[in-house]
Formats: sequence, structure tokens, C-alpha cells
Amino acid sequence: MNFFLFINRKLIFLSGIIILCLFILIIFSKQINLSKIEVKNIKNTISNADILEPKFAINNNSKKIFITAAEGNFLNKNEIMLKNKVRFKSNNFSIETDKVIFNRNKQTAHSSSRSLFKSKNTKITSDGFNIYDKGNKIIFYGNSYIILK
Amino acid sequence: MILILKIIVIIFFSLNLYAREKGETEITTEDGIEVFQNEKFYLLKKNVKIASDEFTLNANDVKIEFEKSLYDITKLNAQGNVEFYSEEYEILGEGEYLEFEIKNEKIKVKGLGSKLITEEFEMFSDGTININNQSGKFSLKGLNSKLINEEIKIEARSIDGVFSEIDEKKEITVLNVFDEKISYIKNNDTEMYARKINFDSDNSIIELIENVTIIRNDEKITGDYGTLDTTNNSYKIKSNNTSKVKVIILNNEQ
Repeated sequence: MNFFLFINRKLIFLSGIIILCLFILIIFSKQINLSKIEVKNIKNTISNADILEPKFAINNNSKKIFITAAEGNFLNKNEIMLKNKVRFKSNNFSIETDKVIFNRNKQTAHSSSRSLFKSKNTKITSDGFNIYDKGNKIIFYGNSYIILK
Repeated sequence: MILILKIIVIIFFSLNLYAREKGETEITTEDGIEVFQNEKFYLLKKNVKIASDEFTLNANDVKIEFEKSLYDITKLNAQGNVEFYSEEYEILGEGEYLEFEIKNEKIKVKGLGSKLITEEFEMFSDGTININNQSGKFSLKGLNSKLINEEIKIEARSIDGVFSEIDEKKEITVLNVFDEKISYIKNNDTEMYARKINFDSDNSIIELIENVTIIRNDEKITGDYGTLDTTNNSYKIKSNNTSKVKVIILNNEQ
């Protein structure tokens, strides 16, 4: 006689249900964890950045300077802290840095982080910069290094 | 060992990051740069060092004027402990202030202890030294102004003249020297004193005006007006008062 004919049907059914429950429980618990992580990430992103990929411009009579960054936070009504991959770009030059405070009203920008200025045949690295007078004047701070070709 | 190698590689690359390549100009400052785009100039602040293939400069502060962009330099003003060397023009200089017009090839050094040294001439002044490399004009103004080369030594409050290239050698072809007190020129074996001394290579005559003294070997002659012909090294002295010309024969043995 076959050995399997001696196993209790109820026992098989019960153990099947238990395995199924465990399986569902594992999947469910993992799903909960994943959803929790996602929620956390979203919460972090929301708490750190008021604007994602902000874009601004400084306008003057002769040229326009476009400002882009990965994220931005409002410090007050006019001032915005731009962070990560901050870039100033005009027809004549570009400046790259990590952190900049941009004043929308005064059309000024100030950075205390390492900056790289590039224009035709010119590169400037400095400990920070200040753009004012609608982009006509740029001050590079601290130990500065220029290469002219 | 691996860690040491890694450190060496990092240092090597960090040094290379700021290494100047041929044809490039490298500028370093300790207190930043101010760029004025509309006005077309930039200020380099504190302990400025400029190095290129043909030009080096150290100064406290530098202002650079440009035409199109920052690299297109037209004029350079340096202030405070200025030291520079131009390989292209073979000029070495020192002073409190330097003005260098690149396209016009004009150089001005100003302040106490100003110095301009070329391959053939040495110029010193506590006032200003100007050289125009294109026209050959030069000018020294102020106390302790001095121009020296192998053949001539000039000392006066005001020295103006023109350099010309003769047989691939720079020579003075025009000279106007003036000093309220007394100007001094030493040429070969002759020493000349006068308030005003002029020279023109066209007639090869050195003209001495007012309070004239010529000293050669053991002779000392004084008068009001004198000329020295550089072709034959002969000289003449006259006085407004004919009896005033004085000749002193110096006897060194006594």
C-alpha cells in the first residue's frame, strides 16, 4: 500500500494553509518595509528642497545669465538657497558651484563654496563668488587661480 | 606601501591640476579677483603672481584691462613691490608701480628704487622710468635717475632720449639731459658736468649748457658752454665772459 494514502488529509490541508499564511506574511511585511522606505525618501526630499531643478535668470541690457540647480530652498521671500550642480550660464561665461544664495529681487548671487568660472580661453577657480550689478560685476573670493590661454 | 603610493599619486595629480601648460598664462592671488565686464578690466588682489612662457610678474595688486575677454589683455597696472621679467623684450624691472601697455609696447615703472634693466642698458630712478619699445623713446624723471651701459653713464633729474638699433645693437641716438643743480655724463675717458646736456647722433656732437665742466685725464676745464665731438673726441668750451674759461691741469703725482 502506498505510504501517502496513510497521511491525514486534514494535516496536509492545515500545513498548506500555514505555509501559505507564512508566505503571504513575508511578502506583506516586505511590501510594508518598501513602502515605508519610499515614504521616508519622499519625506526627506520634501523637507530638504522647496523647488526641484529651479531655473532663474539675471537680466541686463546686454545679456542674460541663466541659473540652474538640482534643488532650491526659499530662505525668505526673495532669497533662495540653490544647491547641487548650480550653474550660471551666459553667452560669455559659465560658473559652476555647489551652493549659491540667489536674490531674485536684487538679481545678485553669493556663494562661499569652491567655484569654477569658464569663458573663452579663461578658467578661474576660487573659494566663492559674488555676482552683482545685474551680472556685470563678479567678485571671486579667497585664493584664486586663473589660467589664460 | 600601497598607501604611500596612493598618497604620492594623489599629490602628483593635485599638483598637475594647477600645472601651467605651454602657451598658457597662470595667475594666482590670495585675496581674489574682481571682474568688471562692462568696464573691461579685472583686479587681482594680494600677493599676485603671473607666469607665462615669456613674462613673469609678482606684485601686491594688479589691474588688467582687456579688449574682448579676460585673456585678451591690453594693459596691466601693478602696485606694491613689483618685480617683473619680459623675455620677449628682454627687460627686467622693479618698482612700486608698473604700467605695461601690451600692444603699444610701453613700459612705465614708478616709485622709490625703480629699476629697468635691458640687455644693453640699466636704468634707475626714484621717480619714473618710461620706455616705448616701438619708438625707442625713453625717459627718466626724478631723484637719483641714472642710465648706465658699457660706454656711458648719465646722472640727472631728467633724462630723455631715443634708442635706435644699429648693427643689431641698441644705441642712444638722441639725448636730452637736465638737472637744476648739475647733470653728469661719463663717456669713455671724459666726464662732463652741466645743467643741460644734449646729444644728437646726426651731428655726433654733445652740447653742454650752463655751469660746464669737462674732465679728461689730468685736465679740468670749466665754462658756460661746451661741445664735444664724439667722432674725434675733441671738445671746445667757451664762456659768456671771455676771461672766465678756466683750465686746471691736475697733477696726480703731487
